[in-house]
Amino acid sequence: MSSSLSDRGARVRESDSNPLGGVTSKYPGPRAQISRDQRLPWWRRVLPVIASHRATFIFAIGLSFVSLIFQVLVPNMLSADIDNTLARHLNSLHGDVIALIIVGLLAGVTGMISRQYVYATAYNVEADLRSLIYEHLTWLSFSFYDRVQSGQLISRANSDIRSVQMYSTFAPLIVVQCFIGVIAFGFMLVINWKLALLAMVVMPILYVVGIKMRKVMFPISWITQARLAGVATVVDENVNGVRVVKSFAQEEAEINRLADAAERVAWAYIKDANIRAVWGPWVQNLPQLGLALVLFFGGWMVLQRDLKIGQILAFNAYLLMLQAPFMMLGQLVMMGQRAKASAERIFEILDENPDIVDRPGAFDLVDAKGAIDFSHVDFTYGNGVEILTDFNARVEPGETVALVGRTGSGKSTVARLMTRFYDVSGGAVSIDGHDLRDLTLHSLRENVGVVLDEPFLFSVSIRENIAYGRPDATLEEVEAAARAANADDFIIRLPEGYDTVVGERGYTLSGGQRQRIAIARTLLLNPPILILDDATSAIDVHVESGIYEALKGLLTQRTTIVIAHRISTIALATRVLLLDEGHVVASGTHEDLLANVPLYSEILAQATGAESS
Amino acid sequence: MGWGGGFGGGGGMFGGSASEASGRAGLPFGGIPTELMAEATKLLASEPEHPKSDVHFTQLPSQKERERLTLPNLIKVYPKWVVAGSLLVIITSLTLQAGPFLTEYAIKNGMEPGHRDLRVIAACAIIYLVLALVSVYFQRLQVEVTGKLSSRVMHDLRIRVFTHFQRLSLDFFTEEKAGVLMSRMTSDVENLQQLVQDGISQFALQGLTMVVITAILFKTNVELAAWTVLLIVPLLFVFTVWFHHASEKGYLLSRDRIALVLADLSESLYGIRVVTANNRQRRNIRNHRHVVGAYRDANVYTGRVNAIYGPSTLMIGILGQALLLGIGGRMVLNHQLNVAYLIAFFLYLNRFFAPIQLLVQQYNSLQQGRSSIIRLRELLETPPSVDEVPNATVLPAIEGRITFENVSFGYTAETTVLHDVNLVIEPGESVAFVGPTGAGKSTMAKLANRFYDPTAGRVLVDGIDVRTVTLRSLRSQLGVVPQEPFLFAGSIRTNLRFGRLDATDEDIETAVDVVGLRDLVDRLPDGLDTPVHERGQTLSAGERQQLALARAFLARPRVLILDEATSSLDLRSETVIERALDRLLEGRSAILIAHRLTTAQRADRIVVIDEGGIIEMGTPQELLRLGGAYATMYEAWLASGGRDATRAGT
Repeated sequence: MSSSLSDRGARVRESDSNPLGGVTSKYPGPRAQISRDQRLPWWRRVLPVIASHRATFIFAIGLSFVSLIFQVLVPNMLSADIDNTLARHLNSLHGDVIALIIVGLLAGVTGMISRQYVYATAYNVEADLRSLIYEHLTWLSFSFYDRVQSGQLISRANSDIRSVQMYSTFAPLIVVQCFIGVIAFGFMLVINWKLALLAMVVMPILYVVGIKMRKVMFPISWITQARLAGVATVVDENVNGVRVVKSFAQEEAEINRLADAAERVAWAYIKDANIRAVWGPWVQNLPQLGLALVLFFGGWMVLQRDLKIGQILAFNAYLLMLQAPFMMLGQLVMMGQRAKASAERIFEILDENPDIVDRPGAFDLVDAKGAIDFSHVDFTYGNGVEILTDFNARVEPGETVALVGRTGSGKSTVARLMTRFYDVSGGAVSIDGHDLRDLTLHSLRENVGVVLDEPFLFSVSIRENIAYGRPDATLEEVEAAARAANADDFIIRLPEGYDTVVGERGYTLSGGQRQRIAIARTLLLNPPILILDDATSAIDVHVESGIYEALKGLLTQRTTIVIAHRISTIALATRVLLLDEGHVVASGTHEDLLANVPLYSEILAQATGAESS
Repeated sequence: MGWGGGFGGGGGMFGGSASEASGRAGLPFGGIPTELMAEATKLLASEPEHPKSDVHFTQLPSQKERERLTLPNLIKVYPKWVVAGSLLVIITSLTLQAGPFLTEYAIKNGMEPGHRDLRVIAACAIIYLVLALVSVYFQRLQVEVTGKLSSRVMHDLRIRVFTHFQRLSLDFFTEEKAGVLMSRMTSDVENLQQLVQDGISQFALQGLTMVVITAILFKTNVELAAWTVLLIVPLLFVFTVWFHHASEKGYLLSRDRIALVLADLSESLYGIRVVTANNRQRRNIRNHRHVVGAYRDANVYTGRVNAIYGPSTLMIGILGQALLLGIGGRMVLNHQLNVAYLIAFFLYLNRFFAPIQLLVQQYNSLQQGRSSIIRLRELLETPPSVDEVPNATVLPAIEGRITFENVSFGYTAETTVLHDVNLVIEPGESVAFVGPTGAGKSTMAKLANRFYDPTAGRVLVDGIDVRTVTLRSLRSQLGVVPQEPFLFAGSIRTNLRFGRLDATDEDIETAVDVVGLRDLVDRLPDGLDTPVHERGQTLSAGERQQLALARAFLARPRVLILDEATSSLDLRSETVIERALDRLLEGRSAILIAHRLTTAQRADRIVVIDEGGIIEMGTPQELLRLGGAYATMYEAWLASGGRDATRAGT
């Protein structure tokens, strides 16, 4: 367990991080994972995380117990003082008062310290769970992201963790409160064991009601949480797709979509309340039944002179102490079921295994020469659409190859296989004769740089965006990369130059500007193998030619795969691979293919030239 | 705690449950675990068909929506439930207080020497029993009523906040991080749910209990009661004021930090490909630990504030009792007070402190809720930068003349993107904007449909200033196809229908054919009903653009703006699209923004934009003949292998 953690996380080094919002913390990260055993009940699965804080947790619970004992002492001391000292008109109250004050101070101080540790433990467990989810998501494969909406994930990483956290803060305090009950019951037994047992006569019923309540609360809790995620999904989509919504003036439709989702949440909450309303009051009032019985039989015993009035008074005080834990018991059961449903939903994420991982014995790819070989590669996405069938291609070291094909012919898929975003369904991809699956992912991606067709920028400065893959790069290196990507001139004209923070998804920059930053980001890595996946589609021609001018100087030393539609881009390549129906149908120079392969000229729409002539 | 167990983990998943939001898109994640199926199905069967929501959206908030967001304002919409809830709380409170009262009465009148009477005891016990049962009934009603109240209030709040989102302008979404908006709509609202559901009624209940007990204390012994109030209330007050400030600071900090956590998470999810391609996982994990840690630190701080407040009130209680014992004891010793009264007084004193403890707890959740209210209020009071004027008119069906009149614009105060631009686009005319990236082409388009307002000058549609008309009537007539289309979770069909909700299946099939998506649709196992979502890889970048074009084709706007809408298409698809555009543009005005000059060549007129202004303008032929900037660009385009699309015969 610990080895996989150190492998994944590494310690926090202050100098080596740039967290969002510039916040820093000494939080060291989770010290344990949840149990992988899916057969265990939920709390047993979380237990390792809680156990990693056992020192503070046990201390907190222990001290709470001590604090409680002091609290319980108070009514006892009071009644003793009143009964013994006052009733007999003895004159030594000062000592009693001082003793009480000391006990009060002790109860308060121990209470303060213990609660602080209870909260700290709960919040540490929460932070651990949040980190665990984030870290797990970071390593999950794209096949997972292809089928799961981010609204779902955000909701689980938020609402669900929150409900587990609320329970983990609340439950220990209640459990401690229940000790009061145990102590009080002990005192009651001492006073009169028959009456004490009588007061407890409702316990079995209470237990049955608790079980029943637990059973009915769990499904509705699950439904509620699922529906909260539904709301989160609508919100997430509207935040990210705001431009489309506004363009089509669909605000009203989206509000109604949210209102529908919110209506379903409202129903779930009302149902939840109605179910709680049936069982909760019984849990709260059954103990009152015991009190009524005690009143009657206790009174009868007093009349029989089996019991003193002072005793029944004390008895009554202890019964009152029992009341508070009972009142919270219903809430505890309810929150427990909510937490359970939430925990299961969190586990659903944590139980997803990344399908693309380092195989045992995987080795680092060092100084790749850049010979790429696709041999009989088949590939099918999770939705069953077959993209590549018997795809064969070989790229020599230092070669620049263009992939050409229709929209949806599988060009981008080739890029995604090269970086092992996905694994082939059949056949093999290799670099320098090594099957990609034998290499460590980290070293592979260090050697294969890809500029994606979506130029995603993070909301940090342009400098940090360009240095995303190499955060230790100097400003000179960043500027050099930006110049190579022809981005330098527009960056320096921005209000704060390289320190300009680009907004969420880089909205303040134009599409072409973002693509240039994305290119600079990859160029900075200087990878031996470079893949440009339609990376210049929004860049105008003369800027593009500038980029390729710069690239030309760089390309000779590396293997490059260019995915493009433009002839200007394709002209850069020494060889063109024509893709159709998931495999290579022709290979050769641009001129060769243009002359000999009708499909090629058709795809490049050179046919229109023929039309007009 | 044996009740935690029972079920065998969450291995079973149930995908595609049509009734669950998560299953709507048919994604095999987030269904109901199999062991829950039976119970859940039974529950869901009891769910009535919710009527389709029918919220009316106006850009300008109504008087009601302008009302300041406060808890009382939120709940006063449901006066009946508030009154019913309060009454039930009072009744429950009284029945709960009855127990000790009856016990005391039974002891006094049934057990003490001289008053021994089993009948009194029995009567008291029976009344006690009956009251407990009555209490069950009223508590049930109370939970139901407050449950209903809270879920309706939260429902209203969700819609209100979300409606405000929709009112806000694009610049807000550019600056504000997605995670922040997300946390306002989720964790802040959920925070309040708990408060309205249990918090307020408990707060009222315990407060009421304290009042009753205080009255009883005074009735039992005025002097001792006065001492109690004098000793305890000021101290409690001081601590409470301290807690109020300290916890508010903490909870607001915690609200801000959780927003950061969600923002970081959300960005990592959307950028997961870049993260992976750049081997950034480890560093991001470290960064996220800082963000999560900062949230934890804020929580630990509020925890500490709580840990001091709770036990300190307890301590004040015990110290107060100690002093009262001293005072009361002196009075007894001085024969000013009967011991029995002192006993009774202490009996009630206990009941005085119990609700204080509960009040302290409730006050904490009240504070937590308040921090959410404050953050939500800030959001609701953020005005949209592009807003409708009061009494904005509905733009009538337009012919499509777009006029830029001395328009200047900058995204920030320091920078100008456009400077004093004048341009008229005639009805039915298609105009291509060309020029280097970042020259302001897209900005022009964004001004036309009022994503932004010009800093100087005005934009007119059919001679009407766009600022004087409703945003809906303007935007529904101006269709924009952006470079990066956004896919909503759902099927391809629902995504296509986005532009026009009442589009028929035939319309959709036509649109699919026109933009050249037929091949794809035939290839997909579920055709048009194949689920897609934003990060999904079902569609390639080019196919997504085709889909966006089909959306616009269905919407049939009067003016069409294509903002790099074909950049990822292969040339063959582009020619298909061009043919589609010829059909679509017939009789429509259009702004075409493209780097592929093939598209520009097909436009009626070309406008070259550079350095924040128009430097050339004319038909493609004119500009080529002119031999200026455009001619140079076109030459470069042809030299780079661009397709010559000069229209034959002109």
